[in-house]
Amino acid sequence: MPSAFDATNPPFDRLTSQEVETLRAALDIAYFRPGETVIAQNAAANALFVIIKGTIEERDGNDLLALLGPKDSFDSRALVHGKSGHAFVAREETLCYIAPKNLTLGLIQSNPRFASFFYREISQKLDELVRDEEERRYGSLMRARVAELFLHPPTFIDASDTIEAAGHLMREIDSNALFVRDGERIGIITGMNLSKAVVLRRLAIETPVRALAHFDVVTLRPDDFVSSALVLMTKRNKRRVAVHDGERYVGILEDIDLLGFLAGSAQVVAGRIDRASSKDDLMIAARETAAQVRTLRRQGVKVEVIGEVVSDLNGHLFSRLFEMVAPAEIRTSGCLIVMGSEGRGEQTVRTDQDNGLILAGPVDQAALDAFRSDFSGALAEFGFPPCPGNVMVRNPVWSKPLSDYLSDFRRWVTLPDDMAHINVAIFYDARAVAGDAQLLATAKANLIDLIRGEQAYLAHFARAVDAFATPIGLFNKLVTSEGKGDALDLKKGGIFPIVHGTRSLAIEHSLMETATDKRIARLREIGVLQPDFARELSETLRFLLTLRLDGQLAASGGISGTLVRPSLLSSMERDLLRDAFQVVKQFRGIIRHHFNLGMF
Amino acid sequence: MIPRAIKRLFHQASIGDQSYRFLFEPGPADEVVAIDCETTGLNVRTDDIIAVAAIKIRGNRILTSEHFEAVVRPDADMRAEGIKVHRLLRADVAQSPFIRKVLPSLLHFIGGRPLVGYYVDFDIAMVDKYVLPFIEIELPNRRIEVSKLYYERKYGDAPANTVVDLSFAAMLKDLGIPLLAQHDAFNDALMTAMMYVALRDLKERGVRIARARSHAAVFNPTGA
Repeated sequence: MPSAFDATNPPFDRLTSQEVETLRAALDIAYFRPGETVIAQNAAANALFVIIKGTIEERDGNDLLALLGPKDSFDSRALVHGKSGHAFVAREETLCYIAPKNLTLGLIQSNPRFASFFYREISQKLDELVRDEEERRYGSLMRARVAELFLHPPTFIDASDTIEAAGHLMREIDSNALFVRDGERIGIITGMNLSKAVVLRRLAIETPVRALAHFDVVTLRPDDFVSSALVLMTKRNKRRVAVHDGERYVGILEDIDLLGFLAGSAQVVAGRIDRASSKDDLMIAARETAAQVRTLRRQGVKVEVIGEVVSDLNGHLFSRLFEMVAPAEIRTSGCLIVMGSEGRGEQTVRTDQDNGLILAGPVDQAALDAFRSDFSGALAEFGFPPCPGNVMVRNPVWSKPLSDYLSDFRRWVTLPDDMAHINVAIFYDARAVAGDAQLLATAKANLIDLIRGEQAYLAHFARAVDAFATPIGLFNKLVTSEGKGDALDLKKGGIFPIVHGTRSLAIEHSLMETATDKRIARLREIGVLQPDFARELSETLRFLLTLRLDGQLAASGGISGTLVRPSLLSSMERDLLRDAFQVVKQFRGIIRHHFNLGMF
Repeated sequence: MIPRAIKRLFHQASIGDQSYRFLFEPGPADEVVAIDCETTGLNVRTDDIIAVAAIKIRGNRILTSEHFEAVVRPDADMRAEGIKVHRLLRADVAQSPFIRKVLPSLLHFIGGRPLVGYYVDFDIAMVDKYVLPFIEIELPNRRIEVSKLYYERKYGDAPANTVVDLSFAAMLKDLGIPLLAQHDAFNDALMTAMMYVALRDLKERGVRIARARSHAAVFNPTGA
């Protein structure tokens, strides 16, 4: 009955307290010396092992797949499926709890949530994870703080000022509420108070606002929970509350902004972009787009939807900027495109500028030059860093007539070098955001035509899936150094191979979709990918993108969010990450076989 | 002090209850029992046992699923200092049986197996205090002292003036064993058992525990 057995550690946290007691009563502890085999490859296991101390190697023949550390459990496959594909060997002196097989299988049968941990399919595990971790990590929106909401900045007016002055001030600052200073007292006056006074009570617009202001101001602190704000507004029947940080008023919270926060206000931002009349307006909207990501993630919105919302908002932004900056000639005869991850809609946090311009024909050179630098410059001001590969409108290579692109394509396909492959990859992911979308469609159709049937070219193109090794080695380091290990590059190790492998298959089959998950779905429909595997692949990509997004949000504006420190993940997530890399490995195998990459 | 072997022979003859003769027979091969007592204090003559736990170890397996654990009512009043250490309040033990009631099942649980403990002589002396009036013998079981195994692995080849630390905490730390909530007889016995299996393996493989270099004994030649 080791009461020390940690039942809060997944998957045991899904057990009822009675089940935990049953399990605890049946646990034994085993000691393994270094090099001792705990479960042999392809052998059945008669127990589930949970590591107390030490390190266990998970091996496939001579390949080291993973290192398991304290609180990790193994091996669900050996237990449920009667044999493990992998061997488990003690790397150092190791103590494990032993949960007897029959008891564990009994718990799996009686407790579906516990059971889901043992299912082979990663997608099912992932669903469970999403449900469990969402709440733990982000808490609900209700636990956000008032300071995170949009607050109208505090603007004061004197009690002796007139209704007319108050009305003008409100219009000027685009707010519906003002603080009223009356000697020591502070009150609030709203637009509705003004209208009622004038319309219903027929007061003159020269009347001082003192008589109309409310001095029973309801206040909140910036660190109060959003839920308290909601309760306060409902209980006191107030549409606005003042926010006071203990020393001074810092703003006014309006119910509409609170509701917007709770309901997601991407529409509001989109509206703001469309109504923007200057670059300054757009800059504010660009900043709000970035803030949306965190809000959406908090609301538990799935990462691919966040990607869609963000690329949609960015699309609005680019399009509005294009309208402002581009001269009429370029607006009517050009097509603004975004490429790479922005094109696929998989970029969630502020992205590099990956954009270009396709022109129907030659335009005035001076106007074109001015547009090139204006457009890229404005985006840089909005906080979109210049593309390191210089894939930007500013670069004449990426802003030119369609016919010039077509001759580029021929060169890229007939004389492929690494740069050419990269160019094909990013152009194939392009999406039109403004102007004549037909230009992009024509260009893409030409590119696909050139590549169709060119198996040797496709093989060269697909080969990049092997550019980076699966980062099992790095993972490995992490556990041995007890949590101080190196971070893991999700992009190189997992996201890139999936994206590029899918892209290679998609271009071979002339697909017009740009998003990776849509390409995977199409490849499944036309029978290129097995349905089960297609599902696992999408889920794996989603999981990796979610981890990356969380890393980016945690790093909060940090440089690269593609590094994840496995030591910061829960053991459930680490388990899933191992499974995810297994799927990536399997997919690489499929790509290698499909394009016959063995010949290189 | 009468040597233990002679005492054992004497007790084999003097045993008051023949049905406990099994204590003198060797237990199953490769099995030992880790034992720990919580007491009202550290004086064997005046203090009492208030909890006792024993866990069987078979080979490299610690059979926590088959353990013995009992909270008992002390004969003497519990002392305040004792309470602080083990946090068992009078009320907790008032409902418990006297140790005489649980002694038979404890003795059957350990049988002739060697007893493993940390300062195991104290725990056995505490148990003997009740066993002697009960069946007129003291426990004849072989004793395995984990601090001695640890001493051999770490300090067996140490130079004469090495500072020796045989504290429970130091042993856990060197062996990488997690510290469980202490002063709970079961957890103490369990940590002792984990140390035992690890130390025995190190001994079989001839592996030593590294000693941190001690600077304390070295004088500073610069005189600073």
